Amino acid sequence: MGNIIGSLIRTSAFLRKEIIEILRQPKLILSLVLGPFFILLIFGIGYRNEPQALRTLFITPEGSELAQQIEEIAPNLGPQLIYEGVSYDAEAALERLQQGELDVIVVTPADAYDTIRSNQQAVFTLYHHEIDPFQVDYIVYFGQFYTDIVNKRILQEITAQSQAEASTLQEELSAARESAAATRRALEAGDEVAAQQNQRQLSQNVDNVSLAVGASLGLLSSISNTIGPGQDTESLEILGDLDTVQQSTNELGDSNSGSSSSRAQKAAEVEQDLARLEERLVEFQNVPPDLLVSPFRSETKSITPFQPTPSIYFAPAVVALLLQHLAVTFAGLSIVRERSLGTTELFRVSPLSSLEALIGKYLSYMLFGGFIAATLALILVYVLRIPMLGSWWNFAIVIAAILFASLSIGFVISLISDTDSQAVQYSMFVLLTSVFFSGFIMSLDLLWEPVRIISWMLPATYGSILLREISLLGAGIDLLLLAGLLAIGLVMSILAWLLMRRFISSSRD
Amino acid sequence: MAFMYQAENQRSKPEWGNSSHVIEVTNVTKRFGGETAVENVSFYVPEGSIFGFIGPSGSGKTTTIRILTGVYRPTEGEALVLGTPPSKFNQAKRARLGYMPQLFVLYPNLTVWENLNFAASLYGMSLSRKKTLKEILEFVELYEHRGKIARNISGGMQRRLSLASTLVHDPELIFLDEPTAGIDPVLRKKFWDHFKELQNQRRTLFITTQYVNEAAYCDLVGVMGMGRLITIDTPDGLRHRAYQGEMIDVTADRRLDYQMEREIQEIPGVIRMLERKSPNSVRLLVDQAPSVMPEIMEWAQAKGVDIKEIEEFIPPFDDVFVKLVEDQENRG
Repeated sequence: MGNIIGSLIRTSAFLRKEIIEILRQPKLILSLVLGPFFILLIFGIGYRNEPQALRTLFITPEGSELAQQIEEIAPNLGPQLIYEGVSYDAEAALERLQQGELDVIVVTPADAYDTIRSNQQAVFTLYHHEIDPFQVDYIVYFGQFYTDIVNKRILQEITAQSQAEASTLQEELSAARESAAATRRALEAGDEVAAQQNQRQLSQNVDNVSLAVGASLGLLSSISNTIGPGQDTESLEILGDLDTVQQSTNELGDSNSGSSSSRAQKAAEVEQDLARLEERLVEFQNVPPDLLVSPFRSETKSITPFQPTPSIYFAPAVVALLLQHLAVTFAGLSIVRERSLGTTELFRVSPLSSLEALIGKYLSYMLFGGFIAATLALILVYVLRIPMLGSWWNFAIVIAAILFASLSIGFVISLISDTDSQAVQYSMFVLLTSVFFSGFIMSLDLLWEPVRIISWMLPATYGSILLREISLLGAGIDLLLLAGLLAIGLVMSILAWLLMRRFISSSRD
Repeated sequence: MAFMYQAENQRSKPEWGNSSHVIEVTNVTKRFGGETAVENVSFYVPEGSIFGFIGPSGSGKTTTIRILTGVYRPTEGEALVLGTPPSKFNQAKRARLGYMPQLFVLYPNLTVWENLNFAASLYGMSLSRKKTLKEILEFVELYEHRGKIARNISGGMQRRLSLASTLVHDPELIFLDEPTAGIDPVLRKKFWDHFKELQNQRRTLFITTQYVNEAAYCDLVGVMGMGRLITIDTPDGLRHRAYQGEMIDVTADRRLDYQMEREIQEIPGVIRMLERKSPNSVRLLVDQAPSVMPEIMEWAQAKGVDIKEIEEFIPPFDDVFVKLVEDQENRG
């Protein structure tokens, strides 16, 4: 019993000592609590979730007709393109690009028409002055995006032109209906000559209608076949109707095909067929050309409880990363500092065991880290309005696990470091690794799978995911992830204990 | 001042031969890589004594104390402290030791009180220890400064705080590594007063020091040089060992001529004349000063010489130490 009490007293020595030492640094506590809060606040205020607008200058060959078209089109291409004009002087433009006055130069193809006629794509060449790979990717995307817009514009014009041509269809249909009526009237009057004459005219008109209908229906049929249900039955019906009209028209021309009254009846049927055909074709003509060129658009709908802004999305990861860094650094400096001071010499002579010292330190930093996490979480939730959709208990469990795993890493760092600066260096190394590999700045999916092993060795990786799931999705604790986090803590704490034993409990050779 | 303490030591000198030994060191050698820090050292420390370990910087004092406290394991030989090799100390045995390292190793950001409280906790002292802490701080005259941050107090106060932390759990065997290094003579005397007080409470103290004259405060003194134990003895024994005897200064009322010089040196117990201090005065090396002085007085009376002054000359320990080290070097 006495041993247990003595052990508790020795453990409490570290608990109390570490807490006092921390509390004696109020500026440190303030910076730990308010630092991340202000970072997130400023990030939230300053972050613009819009693609960057690029100052763009177009270069065309001197005397090219493209210049005029670019001047018409480019200023209206979109907010990401700041139109800086058209120039013929490529060298001066490159000089301006070099000096940072421009972001992009677009050199238009010199002989686009001939290139396309020779079955090749004409190329817009984009010049930039970026070394940032992400920015370069953005410019490549920017080029593809605006080339697509230009391609679409051209297609729209072609389609509009086709539709304009198709507008003669209505005239042809009216003429056909007129000819059918004249044929009927001639047949009813028994004027075979006039009937034959009008029938020929009708036949000519129906052929013209057939040609015009073919173009419009071809376009719609292609859309239906490519992305629709397959065979376009409506188009087939229209074509069937047209075929019937053509046959009926041909029969009208044959004086032996029946009596005048029966042929007049057929002419009336042709009239009706043409009227129906006209009605059905009008709706196709009314389809806007941009719809025909871009028949689809997308809309995104999330099934998550709410859609966070970037600063809200990053907040749980910031908490996880900060706690990891805080725990690693504090623990990292804790033992090495005692070694520098020489206090460990006292420990070796005293009845203190390595386990008592470690537990005392774990408890003190867990308490301190817990306090920082609680204060930070309350500020984030009640000041920055970051939601807490899940359970606070789950949140607390994950925080405790992050602190445990991070402290264990920190103690190992402290025990393998010879000096304070070495421990700080190792702690910074862990932080830097976490920034790149924990999914903080980029998704883990972007990492090559074997490299992700590093990610899964970092408490911040587990912490970010778990805290995000709990606070932003309202999910419970992913037990597999929690187990992973605790496994890191367990392995590293055993290692820390073994190193501490070597350090405190036994004599050195 | 040193002599006063020597006299005190002589008065309270225990019979060390009859005491049990709390430390026994046998042929201990400690090497760090190719460097030998301590070579073939053997000694014992009687219970209840003040054992002084004296030697210049780098002579192996701290290494020896670290071997005895279990910080280092000896490369060769055996050390027994409280009957156990230090590397096999259990918690109970460690609780019987107090150790004050050479440097201030407590926490600079904690107050005097907090540091002492921490040290008390390290030894598992009961939480109702406020009175003990107060007493120990009063003992080292730091109670008034208990609320001060350790980094802001003077070097002397820091040494006293270290001493308080070493004594807080009432250890029976106390290791003090150069406790008086770098502090002023007044404070040094206070420290030795504390040590004597601790000895009076039947505690054993193992103290290393660079101040050779502090040997006078000790019951037994081990002299270290170049990692070797040159000699070990009581302070008087050391003087005797250094000069192969004791010294007497004799001053007569007239010039002591050559014939008289020769006759004095033939008195039983006189080894030789060391130096002529003046025409009337000589310094003699003798076996035992108290027994030889009456013989000299007798010779003078017979010769009709009036002895104005006869007294034992006690050489300073600095000289004793230098003599011992030089002799050791001469012996190779």
